Amino acid sequence: MTMEPDRSKERVLWPRGRKTVDLRPLAKRLDTLEGKTLGELWDDLFRGDEIFPILREAFAARFPGVRFVDYRVFGSTHGGEEHATIAGLPAKLREHGVDAVVSGMAC
Amino acid sequence: MLRASALAEELGVPSVSLTCEGFLGQAASTAAGLGMPNLPVALVPGHVDVQTAEELRRNVLGVTVQAVIQGLTAAPEEAADVDEPSPTGVVFEGTPDEVNRHFYAKGWSDGLPIVPPTAERVREFLRFTALHPDEELGVLLPDQRSATVRAVAANGVMAGCRPEYMPILVALVLAMADRRYGVEHSGNTPGSETLIVLNGPVIRELDFNYQQGALRDGFQANTTVGRFWRLCLRNLAGFLPHRTDKGTFGNTWRVVLAENEEALSRFGWPTLAQDQGLAPGENAVTVSRFTGGGVIVSVFGDGPDHMIPYLADGIARHVGWEVIFTVGMASGAQKPLLVLSPILAEMLARAGLSKHDVKRRLFEHARIPAWKFERYIGGWTNFTPGQPTLAALVGEGRAPAIFAESDDPNRLVPVVAAPEDIMLAVSGDPLRTNAYVFAHNGILGYPTTKRVELPPLWPRLLRSAREGDLR
Repeated sequence: MTMEPDRSKERVLWPRGRKTVDLRPLAKRLDTLEGKTLGELWDDLFRGDEIFPILREAFAARFPGVRFVDYRVFGSTHGGEEHATIAGLPAKLREHGVDAVVSGMAC
Repeated sequence: MLRASALAEELGVPSVSLTCEGFLGQAASTAAGLGMPNLPVALVPGHVDVQTAEELRRNVLGVTVQAVIQGLTAAPEEAADVDEPSPTGVVFEGTPDEVNRHFYAKGWSDGLPIVPPTAERVREFLRFTALHPDEELGVLLPDQRSATVRAVAANGVMAGCRPEYMPILVALVLAMADRRYGVEHSGNTPGSETLIVLNGPVIRELDFNYQQGALRDGFQANTTVGRFWRLCLRNLAGFLPHRTDKGTFGNTWRVVLAENEEALSRFGWPTLAQDQGLAPGENAVTVSRFTGGGVIVSVFGDGPDHMIPYLADGIARHVGWEVIFTVGMASGAQKPLLVLSPILAEMLARAGLSKHDVKRRLFEHARIPAWKFERYIGGWTNFTPGQPTLAALVGEGRAPAIFAESDDPNRLVPVVAAPEDIMLAVSGDPLRTNAYVFAHNGILGYPTTKRVELPPLWPRLLRSAREGDLR
């Protein structure tokens, strides 16, 4: 005996949830990196402690007056410190006059 | 990391995020969830962990530097909004086979057949909660989607749950949305999987298996509620393999582990939910993400002195790199779970040991050499910058003193920070002398317990569900 396939129609609902975040604009980009202050944000993973010094060196050679605020100033953006670091970020960016942020590492 | 970048952007500070080659897709999906799909990333070629210092330098100077400049100075492309269906409207009409094909193509199912979530089936689930269908139980990262009661019911239908499981499903999504649990980490590369532990009278009322084969599929309640959790990660949180879910290997979802509360009450031990702060007899779910684990077979002996060292050895063997959550990345967050079969737990209890006593003795025995611990947190892995010694971490106040009682590299140190960090549960074959240990993923799935709230007239509702089976 063969089974007849079920031909009845089902009207089904969407199983996902509504997105709660609308599109948000990015910050205005910088016209140059010369003389600017770049904040380093690091999640304490994947060799950021080697990569940020390479970036510092390359940018210093290319953009006069560029300055980096060390990742240790902000705390880790991952692990046990994550929530405290994120909560303290607005004040620290202001305090150190940060013009732009370089954040790592997604690996 | 991207959340930090998005916050900077929100504050008017342009950002760029350093991203390894294999993570560009995840970065794009996560950025979309943050409402900034055009958030700039700077490529770091390959994966940094297997590059020499020279290769890393060459890649950063040759590729990443220019991408950082571009990300901070060039205006990114305008982002476009994506239209999505209404959460309350009909999204598709077709035969069950067509619904299954459509849902799979859209990424809304896991590849197994689903029960089509019609309005009628969803309504049946909603009878088993006092909450309004539109009530939001939480907002789930990374997609930042609203997890409503209706959406919970729809995913419960799809998973093959019975309507009367609904109070448990609601509690699970509340746990998923709890910040302590850390759902946003569910796509991390170790690919850990959540274990749900169930406590309370609902275990028997809803026919959960809590005896032989406790972690085996084949029992509708245990199996379908476990599947429901992963469908919610997919549909409500937004974790999809090859996109936001970057588990290198991953695991299939785990069936629900129900505790054997008859056994626990016989020898007077509290349940796991009680250990987590709930009152005796309360219905509760406890969720934790575990990296893996294994069975400890044929525990032999006439008392705790014989049994504890072997059980502790099982814990020490299965908690390896995960000690980064004991000391280092998130100290004190490693919470392994030891599941004892009832006959083992009863033996320990009859010997006069409370649960706390067992934990303390496991803590004393579950140890590894200090040199090995240090390799796990920095050496074999690169999880703790600078590869500090345990003594240095104790000196900085980042580890308890017990980790630096001497400077002998062969001294034994614990795999958890404190005895209470070892979780104990009782389940499985009542008359077999095996145990099971799960190593834990720390703050990336921290143990979180939620009470299961039953609707008014629960006994009557339950009776009506059973009578429906007989019709």
